[in-house]
Formats: sequence, structure tokens, C-alpha cells
Amino acid sequence: MENNVSELMQGFAIALTLPHLGLMVVGVLIGILVGVLPGLGAPNGVSLLLPLTFGMQPVSAIILLSSMYWGALFGGSVTSILFNIPGEPSSVATTFDGYPMARDGRATTALATAFGSAAFGALSGVVLITLLASWVASVALQFGPAEYFAVYFLAFSSFIGMGGARPSKTVVSLAIGFALAAVGIDTVSGNVRLTMGVDELVKGVSFVVAVMGLFGIGELMIAVEDEMKVKGVNSKVEWREVVRTIVHLPRHGWALLRSAAIGCWMGITPGGPTAASFMSYAIARRVSPRRDNFGRGEQEGIIAPETADHAAGTSALLPMLSLGIPGSATAAVMMGGLMIWGLNPGPMLFIEQKDFVWGLIASMYLGNVVSLVLVLLTVPIFAAMMRVPFFIIAPLIFIVITVGAYSVSNSYLDVLLMMGFGVLGFLFKKLDYPVAPLVLAMVIGDKAEDAFRQSMLLSNGSLGIFFSNGLVSTVMALGFAFLLLPLIARLWSRRRTALGRA
Amino acid sequence: MVTRRQFEILTGLITGAFGIAVIVSSIQVGSGWSSAGVESGTFPLLAGVLILGGSIVNLARAFVDPPALALRADELRRVALLFLPALAFVAAIPFAGLYVASVFYLLWALSVQRRMPYWRSGLIALVTVLTLYWLFEQAFEVELPHGWLGAALGF
Repeated sequence: MENNVSELMQGFAIALTLPHLGLMVVGVLIGILVGVLPGLGAPNGVSLLLPLTFGMQPVSAIILLSSMYWGALFGGSVTSILFNIPGEPSSVATTFDGYPMARDGRATTALATAFGSAAFGALSGVVLITLLASWVASVALQFGPAEYFAVYFLAFSSFIGMGGARPSKTVVSLAIGFALAAVGIDTVSGNVRLTMGVDELVKGVSFVVAVMGLFGIGELMIAVEDEMKVKGVNSKVEWREVVRTIVHLPRHGWALLRSAAIGCWMGITPGGPTAASFMSYAIARRVSPRRDNFGRGEQEGIIAPETADHAAGTSALLPMLSLGIPGSATAAVMMGGLMIWGLNPGPMLFIEQKDFVWGLIASMYLGNVVSLVLVLLTVPIFAAMMRVPFFIIAPLIFIVITVGAYSVSNSYLDVLLMMGFGVLGFLFKKLDYPVAPLVLAMVIGDKAEDAFRQSMLLSNGSLGIFFSNGLVSTVMALGFAFLLLPLIARLWSRRRTALGRA
Repeated sequence: MVTRRQFEILTGLITGAFGIAVIVSSIQVGSGWSSAGVESGTFPLLAGVLILGGSIVNLARAFVDPPALALRADELRRVALLFLPALAFVAAIPFAGLYVASVFYLLWALSVQRRMPYWRSGLIALVTVLTLYWLFEQAFEVELPHGWLGAALGF
């Protein structure tokens, strides 16, 4: 434990330099912009910035990208509260009570509550990472390929079991991601596969391009559907009210702790911030003493989703760093970035790239403080930006995404692929297919496959290796249990309704 | 007007077709166990089977689920009005280059579709193109496509 503290101090020494603080400010500001603009979200915002980081030091690059992520998480709440338009999918639940509260003339209180609980959620996530990440990594160092495959399997099946979408839709989304990850040269045998006769596809399909289409174009098309009429409320921030609200937040200590716990859990198991915020809001509405007030501007109705959203967003980086399994779509994009910068996400990072890991963790403390300050200072500016009509913003965002897709590898084919992914993203969103599993599978599909094939080589083709010791069998069994979860839940509810009728 | 069922069927057919393509392609590469270990087509084959199986389930469910509306006629129109010009913009890039295509796309989207005065849309287009040029070709040294037109003019 003392070891962690001294490593963390070392990290602060790296993160607290002028260039890195500058990158944090830039990242957070771009992030807030991305979070505020509908149609641009954290995952595709990070992918747009990714090609520009190729020449940077990995620590600097990850500080820029992660700061952008924090900014986006904060920015998404601003529009939810002031305009009833969630800037991010994960801040949808914030509109339920945030907007009614702002409409009643308490915009400052609503914003301060959101930012205060968001900061608390993020802080719990970072503390969790500080305490647990290196321990998880040291356990994972003992893993062989079979254990790795079992952990990947667990991650994928928890999507199917706990994602909340129809399991057949999650399976399709996941498997498409796997297939896309396989396109190009097979790293084990050197064979070319799944290029469907297109020579340029030998280099593979970039997940960055997929994210830009799925999230960017898909969201634009959803946003344009109901031509948004921005009915903003007064966005002036009264500083005295901000201080008063944040000082009084600990009164809701129980709600804060519960929401942070939900968020951390959903972030570590790949449930992601969106599911976390909804789940936290639903639980708060059920157990809060002020539950009757929910939906009409109740403060706890803002605390619950905001704390969970940020706790999940932050703790999603824990499995990414220590196991190489990202806990959210944005974390998946960042992990892809790590691989492009030449790092190998997973336990070896904690040994070979100590400065990188602890610099990042320290920057997470700082980045969230920077975000909190900047978002409070810039609320009026970004609120004014929302008054620019959507029909002007939409083609501009479209051009930015097109240029972004092209610049990934200077390829026009990527632009065409991005358009295809855009149509798919629109259909998926309309029909409640989850998109995050596709991205996750694209990023770690190759690693899961490698782990599987190495295990099979070790066991000479016997699947028994996945049940050869206590650890690997337990993880595999947990994975199968998650797969069966939707089935069990359905049987259970059927039995309950049957009992209720009897 | 588009119903949810029509959308479900369209999506199921797209994903199903992709699944079949993946299966065929993986069988061509070879899948299963060989002396060199697991063959390269095995994992993709599994993915393809899962895609196809899931798509069949989704297609079947589309017929069972109660009918619902996915897009009203006016919503469909708005989506088309966003998407079709965007598609034309992307299609024009190899010929006109990114910069020229962007200018025409913005003029079209703002002034033809939304009746914005041309001097304003022109200004927006100019600022956009100059920003892109400065950010990519100057600051980050990434050459954006100049297209057939650019080549003809000697850029």
C-alpha cells in the first residue's frame, strides 16, 4: 500500500508539469465541447483526436485523451440540465430531474449538484484504481493464455447477461465486432482472411473508423430526427449558490456512496456509464425517502445518475490498465490508442511502463479537478453555443468526422466504411442494439483469439484446458452463468407472475 | 413512414448477409484443427455462425413483436435531408477534393436547404475550409484529398 502511495507521488511529479497541465486544459475544453454538442460524444471525440496523438509521448497522449473524456462526461450534464437535451447517452438520466429543477429557476443548484456529485463519483473511481489496479495486475501476471481467454469470455458474456438489451441483439453486435477484428492478416499464421476481395482491407478495418461511423453519424441521424427546438433556461451561474450546494452535498452521503458503488461496479464489469446511470437512478427512485418527488426536480434524482456515470466512466479504466479489457466504449478507444502508441495494455504495463500508468492515474485526480473548475467557468459560453441552430452544426460535424475518418490512415476507403458504419449505427440505435460490445470486440477480438489459439496449442487441441485448474474453471463457470442470466431472469419473473395470480 | 418491423427486417437481412459472407470466407481460409494449431478461419467461422444465428432470431422476433412506428414521415424526410447531401459530399471527394466538396456541401445544406443568405453560408464555408487547411496541412502535416480537380489544377 505504501508502495502505491510513493508510486502515485511519482505520478504526480509527471502529471504536474506545465505542458501536461496545458494538455489537460485543452483536453477538458475540447471534451466539454464534444459533450455539449449533440451528435458528438466521448467515444468518437476521442477517436477524432487519436490520429493527432501519434507523434506524442504516450503519457502526454493519454493525459490529453483522458482529460477529454472527463470534459465530455461533465459537458454532457450541462445540456441535460439546461436544455433537456442529453449531450451524451450517459447523461440521459440526468434530464429526468435536472431539467425540471432548472426550469423552476434553480439552474445553478442543479448544475452544482450535478458537478459536485460527478466529481465525487470520479474521485471514488480514481481511488479504487489507485488502491486496486496494481494488485489486480500482479494477480493477472500469473495468468496463462487459458486464464486470459476465460477473463475475455467473462467480459463478453457479462455484456450479454447484464447489458439489458435483447441477448440475440448483443450477440450479433459482439460477433460483428469479432469478425471485423479478424479482417486482414492473421497475426498467428500470416494468412489473409475476410477481405472479400478488397485488397486494401489487408490492413484490416480500423476500430477508430467504426467508432466514428457508429457513434458519430448514427447519433447525428438520431439527433436530426426530431429537429431540436432549444428551449434553454437562464444559464447564469451564481457562485454563492454553487458553494452552498456543494457544501450541503454531504447531507446526501448515503445516496452518493450507493451511486458511487453502483458506478464502480458497472465500470469494472463492462456495463459502462450509460447503464450505470440508469440503474443508479432506478434504484434511487425505489429506495430514496424522497422518492415521490422524483421526476419533478429532486436533488437526489441528479445525484444518483451523475455520481454513477462518472464513477463508471473512471473505473472503466481499471480493467483496461490492469487486464487489457476496457470497461466502456471510450475506454476501448483509448486502449486501441495505447496499442497504436506501442504499449501493451495489461499487467505488464505496471512493470514496464510505471511512469505511464502512475502518470495517468495522477492525471485522473488532477483532470477531474480541472474539469470541475473549467465546466463551472464555461457554462455560459457553452450554453450560448447551444443556441446555434442544429442545421448549421450538423453538416459541420459531418465534415469533421469525414476528415477524421480519412486522417486515420489517409484512405478514402475508410471514409466509405465510416458511412457504412454510420447507417448501421443509426439502425442499431433505432432498434436498441447495443453498440459498445461491437467496439469492445473489435479492439480486443484479436487478443481473445490469440489467447484461445495459444491455449489450444498448449493443450494440443483439447478444450479441457479451460477447466484445468480452480481459477480458470471458476472464471469460465461465471461466464456461463452470465450467459444464462437472461434466461433465468425470465423464468423467475414468469414464476413470480404465476405465483401472484395463484 | 417506416415501421419498426421494416427496420428490424432490414437490419436482420444486413447482419445476416454479413454473417453468411463471413462464414463463406472463413471456410475458404480453412477452419478447425490442423497440425499447426487452430486454423485462421476458425474464430471468424464461429463469429459468422453467431452473427447468422442471432440475425435469424432477430428476424423471427420482428414478426412476433407487436407492431410499432419507428419513424414518422416527417422524421424520415429530415433524416434523408441530412443523409443524402452528406452521401453526395462523400461521393464528390475523389473528384472535387475535400475542400471544394465541403464548400458546396455547406452552401447546399445551409442556403439551398435552409434559405440562409449566401454571404453567411459562404463565410461559414470559407472559415471551415481555411481552418481545416491550417489544422491539417500546416499544423499536423496531413494531406487531405485534393481530388481529381486538385490534380488537374496542379495542387
